[in-house]
Amino acid sequence: MTATSEEPLSGMPIVGSADRPFLSVNDLHVTFPTEDGLVQAVDGVSLSVERGKTLAIVGESGSGKSVTAQAIMGLVNRKSATVTGEIWLDGQELINLPQREVQELMGMEIAMIFQDPMSSLHPFYRIGDQIVEAIRAHRSIGKAAARRETLEMLQHVGIPAAERRIDAYPHQLSGGMRQRVMIAMALINSPQLLIADEPTTALDVTVQAQILELIARLQGEFGTTVILITHDLGIVADVADDVAVMYGGRIVELASTTTLYDLPEMPYTLGLLSSVPRMDQKLPERLDPIRGNPPSPIRLPKGCVFQPRCDYWQRVPGEACLTVRPDLLESDPDHWVRCHLKVEERKQIARDVKQILAGGGE
Amino acid sequence: MFAYLVRRVLLMLMLLFLLSVSVFLLFAILPGDPARLTCGKACTPAIIESNRHRLGLDEPPLTQYVKFVSGIFVGRTFSADSPQPIKCDAPCLGYSFNRQEQVMSLIARSAPVTFFLAIGAFVIWIVVGLALGIFAALNRGRWGDRLIMGISLIGYSMPSFFLGLLLVFFVIIKWQFLPFPAYVAPWENPFQFFQTMLLPWILLATLYAAFYIRLTRNQVLEVLSDDYVRTARAKGLPERTVVVKHALRAGLTPIVTAAGLDLAGLLGGAIISENIFSLPGLGALAISSIIDSDLPLITGITILTAAIIIFANLVVDLLYAVVDPRVRVI
Amino acid sequence: MVRLDVRVLRTLALSLVAMLVLAACGPGTTSSPGGSGAGSPGASAGGSAAAGQTGGTIYLLTQADEFNRVDPQRAYTGEDLAFFGATIYRALVAYTVSSDDKAASVLVPDLATDTGTANADATSWEFTLRDGVTWQDGSDITCEDVKYGVSRTFANDVISEGPTYAIQYLDVPANPITDENDPKSVFLSAYYGPYDGTGQELFDKAVVCDGKTITFNLSGPHPDFNYTTTLGFSPVPKAADTGETYGIAKPPMSSGPYKVDSYTTGNGGKMILSRNEAWDQASDDYRTPYPDGWEVDFGLDPAVIDERLIASAGNDVTAIGRDGLQPQNLPTVFTDPKTPQAKFEGRAISGYDIYALYYWINVQKVPNVKHRQAMAVALDRDAIRKNGGGNFLGDFADGVIKPNIGPDYAESGMWTDMFGAAVPDTGDPELAKQLIADSGEPAPKLSFNFADTPTGNKNAAIVISSFAKAGITVTPAPLESGKYYSIVFDPEKAGDFGVGGWGADWPNASTVIPPLFTQIGGWDLSQVDDEALNAKIDAAVAETDRTAQNALWQALNKEAMENVYVIPTFFELTQFLGGTKINSDGLFLWGPYGSLSYGVLSVVK
Repeated sequence: MTATSEEPLSGMPIVGSADRPFLSVNDLHVTFPTEDGLVQAVDGVSLSVERGKTLAIVGESGSGKSVTAQAIMGLVNRKSATVTGEIWLDGQELINLPQREVQELMGMEIAMIFQDPMSSLHPFYRIGDQIVEAIRAHRSIGKAAARRETLEMLQHVGIPAAERRIDAYPHQLSGGMRQRVMIAMALINSPQLLIADEPTTALDVTVQAQILELIARLQGEFGTTVILITHDLGIVADVADDVAVMYGGRIVELASTTTLYDLPEMPYTLGLLSSVPRMDQKLPERLDPIRGNPPSPIRLPKGCVFQPRCDYWQRVPGEACLTVRPDLLESDPDHWVRCHLKVEERKQIARDVKQILAGGGE
Repeated sequence: MFAYLVRRVLLMLMLLFLLSVSVFLLFAILPGDPARLTCGKACTPAIIESNRHRLGLDEPPLTQYVKFVSGIFVGRTFSADSPQPIKCDAPCLGYSFNRQEQVMSLIARSAPVTFFLAIGAFVIWIVVGLALGIFAALNRGRWGDRLIMGISLIGYSMPSFFLGLLLVFFVIIKWQFLPFPAYVAPWENPFQFFQTMLLPWILLATLYAAFYIRLTRNQVLEVLSDDYVRTARAKGLPERTVVVKHALRAGLTPIVTAAGLDLAGLLGGAIISENIFSLPGLGALAISSIIDSDLPLITGITILTAAIIIFANLVVDLLYAVVDPRVRVI
Repeated sequence: MVRLDVRVLRTLALSLVAMLVLAACGPGTTSSPGGSGAGSPGASAGGSAAAGQTGGTIYLLTQADEFNRVDPQRAYTGEDLAFFGATIYRALVAYTVSSDDKAASVLVPDLATDTGTANADATSWEFTLRDGVTWQDGSDITCEDVKYGVSRTFANDVISEGPTYAIQYLDVPANPITDENDPKSVFLSAYYGPYDGTGQELFDKAVVCDGKTITFNLSGPHPDFNYTTTLGFSPVPKAADTGETYGIAKPPMSSGPYKVDSYTTGNGGKMILSRNEAWDQASDDYRTPYPDGWEVDFGLDPAVIDERLIASAGNDVTAIGRDGLQPQNLPTVFTDPKTPQAKFEGRAISGYDIYALYYWINVQKVPNVKHRQAMAVALDRDAIRKNGGGNFLGDFADGVIKPNIGPDYAESGMWTDMFGAAVPDTGDPELAKQLIADSGEPAPKLSFNFADTPTGNKNAAIVISSFAKAGITVTPAPLESGKYYSIVFDPEKAGDFGVGGWGADWPNASTVIPPLFTQIGGWDLSQVDDEALNAKIDAAVAETDRTAQNALWQALNKEAMENVYVIPTFFELTQFLGGTKINSDGLFLWGPYGSLSYGVLSVVK
């Protein structure tokens, strides 16, 4: 399916300093064979993250954001999926790395926390043992030392009475505590890259903010680079430096968080933003969710993948939106957009929508 | 954990009580007069009455039940007022007038056969079932998986008596690889014991392994896609550790539980295998007790085998609680 | 009737329904014992049996879990009586071991010096024990041992399920206690047997020992009492008696050429017999114990038994199936019920067991004899036999006396000319209509009792449709198969006609005609109670000239058929298979018990 990729490698968007990105992904494709045909879960994704920064990948379920994260992590099962492209982490290419070496990186250089801390922790083992296992998988230190380290980390992530909780089973902890355990386990080996896949989705709203704060605080302390996968643009603003919006397996808009929130150009991003209640804005009386459903990954529209749900495609002359896949193009420096609408028109639409939202629907 | 244990034991005792009552009631209301059944052709009402008295069936059901239960603990005497009273020592599960032997000693004679049959088959089917099931799951979709699944489907859908007869006809009668089964206790003649038990073990193990291969494969596949297995991978653990320590530990627990209950069921007698291979086990005893309408024996076997299953249930549940910490809080 | 094993009864309850036809076929074919050929001389009393070779072990394979009873006073199935008689229990007299049914029905002396001497009116019989007869421990078998054995039958509280002819025939008064609430009412006579001891003096008067001579004083004339002594009159040494557990708890005391070494029951159970060294051929003119030992293997799967015998490998070359072949294997072994496949020639036999099957007709409810004749004539016996599995099930019967009973059998002519014309096996609706017209009454409407099984229901359909062709309306009245007999014996609940079957206790029609057609017999499903008939039957029972008695029974059988008290359907066949090294000369169905010919079985080296 690489033939369908229109992205020239030279047009690869680079966020931040272009010369030496800490993580860069080039033309990543992930394909799953299914009984109904090939599923192009990730179709030519390219992105990069600077050391110590946070990149948020935003999209609905099925947009390819989680698969992208798992591909970077090396968790995509090579027996059931094909992964092509390049993933460079700190000067090392990961996709063609032998499984053994990938294992060495996993949990050591790259760590990941998952959406549901209940199901992601092994129900049969004590949480302390699970973290100790993560330490001893990569570092040859004694059990006692590993346990001490674990205890410290548990205290560090804000688990009260950690010396008691260290011997608890996952089901004995609350959801927020479990996610703190996951974070502790992810950070125990001081990884350079932390991938957080919907880390707050399964949690209560009150706990969500605490967990995000915790991630941000630890990122500051450890200097970790973070990729935050989420469907919720609302939580992105305060934590992420840059945002990549994914739709139908592709990046449709990529910009710094400020830029994106200020003036989103892709109608999909606009839709996402307008459905997000924001603290700093007056709550609109009418949320404006994007109508329709995400496209089936097996039968993608021929033209712009977002066209069937787009309110503005008729403003594009001719039938470009129906027949031609738009490319990801730089509309402003470091602001990449995949849309057939003219740049000025996009900006105008964004301004109009923001006006309406701010005005409370006049 | 202790409270859990106490609660489960109490529940078990209650179940046993209800079970013994219902077995008693069941046989009390079933058509057919056990006293008549003990009486042959030259039967008169007087003989029937006499037998009824000897069997203790002329007493009210409650008294019969109380005597039965107390017999289990302190023993009892049948036909106490006849010139030939029959003493039945504790634990007395009754006396088979048909066979003129205590039910307990009849069962004690048959139980070891069934025990060896069940245990041997259990070991084979668990080893084969788990090994092939795990292999198939880890090689899902490849030819090894397909072959194993195909064979297990055949084994699974083959009626046991048919497979058993096939084994007898070919291995024993046609090719004469083995002599015709003649059960001896393993300590009397270990070689003959294994010769006798080999085919029954294979028969039972085939039937169960076919099922357990499929169960294991499905279970392992399911667990392999569980989030905590992904977490284990993300920790950078070697694949072997991921599969064995994380996936199988969780995935196989319910399988071993099911196997424990299947084993308990088998301990109550494997009727078809025992008959085809002429093994004097509990299943054969149960069947012939039913054919002979030997009520005391039927009652004794029913209660005993049900007790085995209830007890096995308890053991399995307790084991599960040891393995899976989540169960303990319930 | 020789008591049927519980399992056999159950099978029979099914097969009774399965079989329902009449015999128009000539008796010439029916008396053949199958593979060994009709009329072959077989063994006679002197042990002049076919060239049997001494040695080897014969294995008897059975699905039964155990012998029904090992005790000589309690054994009561034909197969058990025949086997124990040949091996461990001697009796005063015995039947000739012969493949010829007439020859086999002749009594020969065993423990006694002759076949017994009756007084003039046959109310007292005398037997004298021969010299040199011993138990397996070497002690003499005495007159007291015989007397003690007989006395055990009276202990109804301990010795159950055995034949009770001793109680019926010996001159001991009935039990004065008849109140059912009294536990002593269990006893059938005033003598309560040797364990209780009450009434011992009464028994001592009825059975008298004088040296080696034992005298039985009877309550009435019984010219065939010596035949009676084949059932339950074997000796038991008092010192060895363990009551209820005799023969089970430890091996019984053998008087025959073999002794029991071990006996275990159930799956894998065996009875192992070896030669009884104390037995002396010189003291026994009757037995020809060829094999060195016997092994009865219990609890085998019937399909496995058949396959082992068909393959006949290893020890199975000298094995014989004791239960008869499974129906599905019959075509493998036989081309037809009389002819084995070439491969099985000499080791497969087919012949009569003791059972005759019939449809009883309640003569109180169907009083018009023409109606009953019409029923017999209308019945499509051929269709019923086909439904039941074809001609392996049996030959069409022409009466209730079976050819293998010996000289009491004669063709009744029921299907040839009795009703004015030959009746085809498929029935003759026109003749039936004619008979109904002759009756002067409208065609009857009848209810039909049968066991509620698939075969039973199909048979009922055949009965209904073949009777309908003759204008007779039949309502099916199916009964739960396990309770069939308990219901049809209740006149309140029984229908107008239904299925039944009967086997002779010994080769005399006195064990067939009286039980079936008199109120005192115990198996009078037809509810026949005719004074003239009763008188004729009494006369036949009392007839001391056996040849004259043959004619009387033959006439009574014919009379019963003319009156159609029952519609005879089948003379039941059974098929046995032995291993390749079983001597075919001694392998046949022995008429008196419809059993294997245990007395002359031998092994080919």
